[in-house]
Amino acid sequence: MKNLKTLYLILILAFLYVPILALMILSFNESKSMAVWSGFSTKWYEEMFSNTLIMEAVWNTFTIALISAAVATIIGTAACIGIQAMRKKTENAIMALNNIPLLNADIVTGISLMMTFLVFGISLSYGTVLLSHITFCLPYVILSVMPKFKQLTGNTYEAALDLGATPWQAFYKVIIPEIKPGIMSGFLLSFTMSVDDFVITHFTRGAGINTISTMIYSQVKVGIRPTLFALSTIIFVVVLIVLVASNMAGNSTNPKVQKGVTAFTTGFVVVLLAGTLVFSGIAGGSGGKEVHVYSYGDYIDPALIEEFEEETGITVVMDTFDTAEEMYPVVKNESVTYDVICTSDYMLEKLMEEDLLAELDYSGIPNIDNMDKRYLELAEGFDPGNKYAVPHTWGSLGILYNTKVIPEGEITSWNDLWKDKYKGRIVMPDSMRDTMAIALKAKGYSLNTTKEAEIAEAIDYLIQQKPLVYKYANDSARDLILGGACDIAVVWNGEVLYTQEENPDLAYVIPKEGSEHFTDAWAMPAAAKHKDAGLAWINFMLEKQTAEVNFDYLTYSIPNVAVIEMNKDNPANMGVLFPPDAVLTKCEALKNLGSEVDDMYTEYWKKFKS
Amino acid sequence: MALIELRNISKSFEDTQVLDNFNLTVNENEFITLLGPSGCGKTTTLRIIGGFETPDEGQVFFEGVDITNVPPNKRHLNTVFQKYALFPHMNVEENIAFGLKISGKSDAYIKDKIKYALKLVNLDGFEKRKIDRLSGGQQQRIAMARAIVNEPRVLLLDEPLGALDLKLRQDMQYELIRLKNELGITFIYVTHDQEEALTMSDKVVVMNKGYIQQMGTPEQIYNEPENAFVADFIGDSNIVDGIMVRDKVVKICDTIFPCIDDGFGQNKPVDVVIRPEDLIIGKPGQGHLDGEVVHNVFQGVHYEMEIEAGGFLWLAQNTTSYPVGTKVSLEVEPENIQIMHKPQSEGEEAIEIDV
Repeated sequence: MKNLKTLYLILILAFLYVPILALMILSFNESKSMAVWSGFSTKWYEEMFSNTLIMEAVWNTFTIALISAAVATIIGTAACIGIQAMRKKTENAIMALNNIPLLNADIVTGISLMMTFLVFGISLSYGTVLLSHITFCLPYVILSVMPKFKQLTGNTYEAALDLGATPWQAFYKVIIPEIKPGIMSGFLLSFTMSVDDFVITHFTRGAGINTISTMIYSQVKVGIRPTLFALSTIIFVVVLIVLVASNMAGNSTNPKVQKGVTAFTTGFVVVLLAGTLVFSGIAGGSGGKEVHVYSYGDYIDPALIEEFEEETGITVVMDTFDTAEEMYPVVKNESVTYDVICTSDYMLEKLMEEDLLAELDYSGIPNIDNMDKRYLELAEGFDPGNKYAVPHTWGSLGILYNTKVIPEGEITSWNDLWKDKYKGRIVMPDSMRDTMAIALKAKGYSLNTTKEAEIAEAIDYLIQQKPLVYKYANDSARDLILGGACDIAVVWNGEVLYTQEENPDLAYVIPKEGSEHFTDAWAMPAAAKHKDAGLAWINFMLEKQTAEVNFDYLTYSIPNVAVIEMNKDNPANMGVLFPPDAVLTKCEALKNLGSEVDDMYTEYWKKFKS
Repeated sequence: MALIELRNISKSFEDTQVLDNFNLTVNENEFITLLGPSGCGKTTTLRIIGGFETPDEGQVFFEGVDITNVPPNKRHLNTVFQKYALFPHMNVEENIAFGLKISGKSDAYIKDKIKYALKLVNLDGFEKRKIDRLSGGQQQRIAMARAIVNEPRVLLLDEPLGALDLKLRQDMQYELIRLKNELGITFIYVTHDQEEALTMSDKVVVMNKGYIQQMGTPEQIYNEPENAFVADFIGDSNIVDGIMVRDKVVKICDTIFPCIDDGFGQNKPVDVVIRPEDLIIGKPGQGHLDGEVVHNVFQGVHYEMEIEAGGFLWLAQNTTSYPVGTKVSLEVEPENIQIMHKPQSEGEEAIEIDV
């Protein structure tokens, strides 16, 4: 029985702490992969501290949390004084009103706050996030302070007045110390709620304003870099220290210890904030020109931002999104105006059709000559004449397989993924259009087909494949193959080089039937306010050196002559990054098919999923 | 001149009238007690004097100056609250020093005063004690000390002994009298305990439903209650209907009793009060009334008996025990018969008690 209890306790603790421990260990992993331990390294910590985007997000998170918790605490406590002086009925009504926002879904609060700001013409910024956080923290403060007012012992307030104190003195010297535990817990609750919040921040933040949670979210598309493990580890340790300190202060009856701990905690927080301020470079201030950039998260090396700023004197306000669909309404409604955006081909096409993009003035982009001509031609597929967009990255879907198990060259076709001998060793993507593209291509159809018969056939083919598939996964595919859970994975070519670094036995092929490819490109919204600065940014992105740095950071295919030059002596790399024309011509980009066809795809996809 | 004067004070909370045209004068160096059941308006009166309530009508004077609208912190009086209202986050010393620090006294002065005050309430050496480490009686004394270090002209005490046990309460009563004599200041004391009121006060004000029922020395209140409410509230009493046949003759239970009261007219219905200890018990036929003991309880100092006589159940106290069933006679000395008017006015009707 006793053993059982101990085991139960250990299990609970393991569930709580093993994931955190794993994260902390991974933050020291030399490798970028979660599946491979390639040695102890602090490089992710170094990268984190030199990444101004992360440090800015940390700074924003903690300043917003501190200010909003402090302001909400003051307003909330003042409100409690008023509420407890009300008649019982009014008080109950007010407390009920106070509790509604607590139970309200964050998304409702977030959207309604955003609407309010927009209706009153307040453009979204750091300030709107702060106001929102104060708003949603208030009920928590009232909820934790109010009971303390109810517990006030006897008539201490009147006793203080009786002894000659003014109402203010009585409040300050007698009431405040008595309700202090409530105020403190209200403050701490607000602080943690604010740090934790994602949804409300997401809806009310302006250009370039990121907190830790929104930044992490925007990086999900390209995979979370271990720098965020480093960040999470540091946050965990900081919270642990503060918690231990405040517990020590709470338990000790010795006022000296209490004071010491309070002083320590305060000092600790100040040093921490000062540190982030220095690292984030905000303290430097911005002089004059700005460029507002809106891109997929973690899609350029952050060091390049500083370099651009130094080179041009233009301050970069960087903002990121996770999916093109998330970016679209922001650009369309101009709730925040950007000068340059980076997004995918089909979305750019949609923006062009709706006249939301400005034509590029190539006299401001002399570096266009560094762009490989083949990829400019490819881009004409969605942007005839290259009027609106300049490619940033290019990618194609292909098959990565382990040559230790499967002889090199054995896999050449999508149809190889339907072979029984690979049963249980295959990882397929879990994304409607991508997954269906594989089946359509295997059957020799266009991946943009609008014919129901072809779609039905592809779905049947996918259902037939189900028993062979180990897992349907997107971002984790690379880790599954690195970890040896599977031998065949469908991945984007951008993942290949760095996966091969971890395991040189992996080979990559674009199947002979052709594949899906995409181009992510820079463009300028029609509403851009700093067009010159925007052009300077695009031109900088095309610089040979910039392309090289970005390539090292991303290992995606960047169609810049400098990058081709870098890799031309390595035929394996060339095959992955810049496949020959014969392969390229068989590839297709996803197109918008219209809502009717979309619905048809979704219907069949549901059938497959069920 | 009166130190404090309440003039025509009325006060109501929501729908309840607590004080109605209330008048009271408090003299210098007096120990005055407001006595009455809960809800009689005694605490409200004290809070109006302290400045914690503003009367709806009427004025409060301090040495002839109208202080009706002066806030509590500007009044020259201090209060000892019902549950002491000590500041829980401060120790004994800090509690006592609170008022002195606010008024900007020097540290040395404050130190002296704390020492003096703790000596006065017999708690020397308690300076650093935490409030939650004190017993009820000790807290009570610290509350006293905290109030008196400010040298108030008047000390208001709101049922300060209410939370203490019987023995402690009795000790504290003597303590309070001693303190009052040493300090030489005015005490206004609120209680619902008639024994406390009689023991300590120079003047007792008996209140009910917002009206003063009787005001006088403890002896007057006890021996000459002016109406049935006072008689009943102060100690145990036999209150019987009687008819004032003529001056100094009253008929109770169809029996004629000699008394010493006059001026009630002839054949007027009156209330008659006879204290249980004033009933003289004798052998049957020897007194005014014959009866039988129906109940007998030993109470320490005396036996308390119920005697049925003349159609009325009399409460009697005697050091001699008469067992249940004993036939006895009852007799009363004329000066121990207290005659009272039957209530007529609205104010007097307030005496219709629920006790």
